Amino acid sequence: MPPDVNEQAGSHPTMSRRRFLSLAGAGIAGVAGANALGAAFWEQLAGAASTGGTKGSLGSTTGRTLVLVTLYGGNDGLNTVVPYTNPAYAPARGILAVDPSTVLPLGEGFGLHPSMPRFHKLWTDKHLAIVHGVGFANPNYSHFESMDIWQTGEPTDPSGSGWLGRWMDKTGADPLRAVAIGPTVPTLLAGEKVQAAAIAPGPIRLPGTPAQVARYKTLASTGRGEAPLLAGAARSNADLLEVDRVLGPILAKTANANPLHLTGADAPNAAGSANSLAIANGGGGTSSANVLSTQLSVVANLLLAGAPAEVYSVELGGFDTHTEQVGTQSALLPQLDTAVGAFLDAISTTMRGKETVVVVYTEFGRRVAANASAGTDHGWANVAFAAGHPVKGGFYGEPPSLTNLSEGNQIYTLDFRHLYATVLDQVIGVDPASFLGQKFSTVGFL
Amino acid sequence: MTLDTTSSIALLYRRMGFGASPAELSAGVTAGYTATVDTLLSGLGQPDPGGDAIAPPTFAPLPTNLLQIRSDPAARQSYLQSLRTEDRELLAWWVARMVASTNPAQEKLTLLLHGHFPTAISKVRFAQFMYQQNQLFRTQGAGDFQALTQAVAADPAMLIWLDASSDKASDPNENFARELMERFTMGIGTYTEADVRAAAYAFTGWRLDLRTGAFSISPLDHSNAPQSFLGHTGISSGTQVIDIVTTTPASSRYVPSALWSHLASPVTPKSAVATDLAPGYAAGRNIGTLLKSILSHPDFLTPATAGGLIKQPIEYVVGALRALSVPGNEIQARPEGALAVLAELGQVPFDPPSVGGWGQNSYWLSTAAALVRWEFAARLSALGDISMVADAAPSGRVEAVGQLLSVPTWTKTTAKALSAASANPQNVVTLALVSPEYVSN
Repeated sequence: MPPDVNEQAGSHPTMSRRRFLSLAGAGIAGVAGANALGAAFWEQLAGAASTGGTKGSLGSTTGRTLVLVTLYGGNDGLNTVVPYTNPAYAPARGILAVDPSTVLPLGEGFGLHPSMPRFHKLWTDKHLAIVHGVGFANPNYSHFESMDIWQTGEPTDPSGSGWLGRWMDKTGADPLRAVAIGPTVPTLLAGEKVQAAAIAPGPIRLPGTPAQVARYKTLASTGRGEAPLLAGAARSNADLLEVDRVLGPILAKTANANPLHLTGADAPNAAGSANSLAIANGGGGTSSANVLSTQLSVVANLLLAGAPAEVYSVELGGFDTHTEQVGTQSALLPQLDTAVGAFLDAISTTMRGKETVVVVYTEFGRRVAANASAGTDHGWANVAFAAGHPVKGGFYGEPPSLTNLSEGNQIYTLDFRHLYATVLDQVIGVDPASFLGQKFSTVGFL
Repeated sequence: MTLDTTSSIALLYRRMGFGASPAELSAGVTAGYTATVDTLLSGLGQPDPGGDAIAPPTFAPLPTNLLQIRSDPAARQSYLQSLRTEDRELLAWWVARMVASTNPAQEKLTLLLHGHFPTAISKVRFAQFMYQQNQLFRTQGAGDFQALTQAVAADPAMLIWLDASSDKASDPNENFARELMERFTMGIGTYTEADVRAAAYAFTGWRLDLRTGAFSISPLDHSNAPQSFLGHTGISSGTQVIDIVTTTPASSRYVPSALWSHLASPVTPKSAVATDLAPGYAAGRNIGTLLKSILSHPDFLTPATAGGLIKQPIEYVVGALRALSVPGNEIQARPEGALAVLAELGQVPFDPPSVGGWGQNSYWLSTAAALVRWEFAARLSALGDISMVADAAPSGRVEAVGQLLSVPTWTKTTAKALSAASANPQNVVTLALVSPEYVSN
C-alpha cells in the first residue's frame, strides 16, 4: 500500500482547557428523539427483507429471531409469578409477601406482580409462556458461577464458550448473526473463534476518511498467527467494519426513531447504557431511565429494517435484593414489563416480528423466607418467561414445592437446558444436542 | 523462551503501571530488569508527587439530619444533587491522578484492589466513602493482606455495598459472608454453605453510622452464639472469621492467583504458578512481597504473559493520555471527554457492574469498544503531544510511534498499515493506538 501523500502533516493545537470535551464521542450527547416515523419510512428502509417472511439469506433456517433478556442479580421469581393462594406463601414471605388483592391473576393459584400489566396482557392473549421450577443440579448461590452456568450451558464446568457462542463457532464466521446491545459481549454470545457483534445505541460514524478506513482494514486483517488475544483484538476491529457496512445504514436512519413509542423515563436514549447514564447524570448515581427500553428500541429498529441477526441479547441489572426488596423490584419489574411489552407491540405488524421469541431468565431464584433486611438471599429454582407471537401461552413445567425445601430453597424441577433445547430446535433451527453436549427434550411452548 | 530486555521493561511498565515513557524505557534497559522492578515497587506506600498534586474533591459534611432529608422532597433533591456533583468530581480526580502519577505502581495496585474488592458508587452513594476506601487501597494496599481485608470490611463503602446494618442476631444477611470467601479471600469450592451461614452469624450487628462514617457492632443485633467455621469452633466475631479465611491454605493459593490474573494472564488457584507462589505468600501475606515474586517469576517474562492480557479501558485511556503528555490537571478541569469514553467502553471507575468487578480480555474486545477506541484515538492524536512522531522523518515514524507508545515491536501487518499512513503523523498515532499490539497489555 503506498503512503498517503495527499494528507498533510497537521500541527497539533496548543493545550486548551476546553479541548477535552471533544474527546467525547457522539453517543454521550444523548439523543432522546421521540418522533414517530411513519410506515413508509420502515418500508423504504426495509426493502423486501422484513416483509418477505421467507428464509433467504436473512434470518435463521426457521425464519425466527431470538431476543434474550438477561436479568442480572437474581430476580425474585416468587414475587414475580406469585403463588398467592398457596397457604405457605404469605407466612414464608412475611412483610415481603405481595398483597393477594393486587396480583394480576394467571390461574392455577398464581398471579403476576401488580407492576406487570403488559405481561398480563400477553398472558391473556396466550402469547406468554411461564416455565416453572427452572434451575440446575448442585446450585451454589454464587452470582458468577450461576450466571456462567446459564450462559455457557455447562453446569459442571462453566469456564468455556457461551452456549450460543458454540453455535456461532460451528456454523460460520459471520459476527452479525448475533448482536448484543451495549459496550461488551455477554459470555453467552462469545465463542472460541467468533464473537457476536456489540453495538451501542446511536449511529456508527467511523472516524476517518476512506483512505484511513482502508489502512484500519489492513490493521484489522486476521489470520495473523499471533497470540490469540492479539488476533482477537484484530478481529474485533475487522468485525466493526462489517457491523458498519451492514448495520451502519440502518442505525444512521433510525438514530432518532422511537419504535416502541415510549415517553419520559422509558423513551430511548442514545447515551442509554447503564454506565453512560450514570455519567450523564453526574457520575455514579442510579437513574430511573429505562435502559432496557433503550436496548430493545435498537433491536426493534434493526428487526424492522430487516437486519440479518438471528439472535439479540439485551440486559437489565440490579435484581440482587438482599435489602429493601419491595422498592427495588417495584422499580425494575415495570421497566421489564414496559420494555418487553412495547417491543412486542412494535414489531407485531411485520412478518419478522411475528416470528420473534423473547426469552427472559436470571441466574437463580431467591430464598423463600425473607431475611431481616426486608430482602431475600440467594436461592435456587426460578421461573423463566417466553413471549411473542409464536409462543403458545400457558404454564409449563412443575411448580416447585413451597414447603419441601432444601436449605430453605425451592428445588428445581426442570433443567434450564430444556429451555435452550427448545430455542435451538424451534427458533434457531439446529440440532440442540450438538450444542448442549447431550439430548434434552423440548418444552412445548413453541 | 523469555523476552529481551527492552520488551521486558516495556511489559513491566505496562502491567505494574500505565506504560513506560521513552525515558523510563531507556533507563530501565540500562539499569536492567531486576533493578527496575525494585525501583518501581519502591514507590509502594510512598508519596506520589505527580498524583498528589491533583487535589481530591472537597466533600460536604455527612448529613446529620437524615430524617429531614428523607422526608422533605426539596431537601432530598438538593442533597442528592450535591452528591452527584461530588460523584463526578471524584471520578475526575482519580482518572486525573492516574494520568499525573509519578508513582504508577501504587496507582496500578490501587486500581487492581478496586477490581478485587469492587464496590460501586451507584449503591454506596457517598463519594467520600468511596474516596476513603480508595485511599485505604493506596496507603495500605501493599502491606498485610489480612489487615487490609479487616480494614476494607469495616470501612463504610463495603458496609453499604454488601448490606451490613440491617440484619439481626437471629436472622443474618449472607451477602458479605459469601463474597468475602468467594471473591475476596478463598475462591469458590473451598468452603461449605454451612460455613457461609456460620460466618453470616458472626457478622450480624455490623453497623455504619451514616452521620459520622463510624463503624460499630450493635450488641443487640450481634449473635454471640458460637459457630463452627472452617474447622474452628467457638467462632462468634467477624474479625475472627476474617483472620481465619485469610490464613487458610486456599487463600494462600487464591490471592496469588488473583494478582497473577490481573498482572500476567488469567489463571485459577489450582494452577502451577499458584503452587509456586503460595508458600512465599503464606509466610507473611504481604502484597508488596507478592508483587515482587510475581514480577520476578520465570513465567512472567514470557510471550505467554506478554500475550496474556487485553488492556482494561481505564488502563487504555490513562495509558494513552500519559503517552501523549496530557497533563492530569487538564483532565481534572475538563473530565467530561475522558469519562464519557470510559463509560462508552464499559468501565467507569468507582462503578463496577457487580460485586464480581469487571470482566477480562475478550470481555473488552467488542465491536462497540473498537469503535469507541478509534474515535478516542483520532481525537487524542489531534490534541495530544505527538512531536516525537511528527519530528521524525516519514520513514522513521513507525519506529517513533513504537517509542511513543512503548510498543517495542510491531507485527508485519501493523507495520504495513502504519507505514502507509506515515505521511501524516496524526494518522500514524491514531492507527497505532487502535492496533492489536497497543490494545493488548
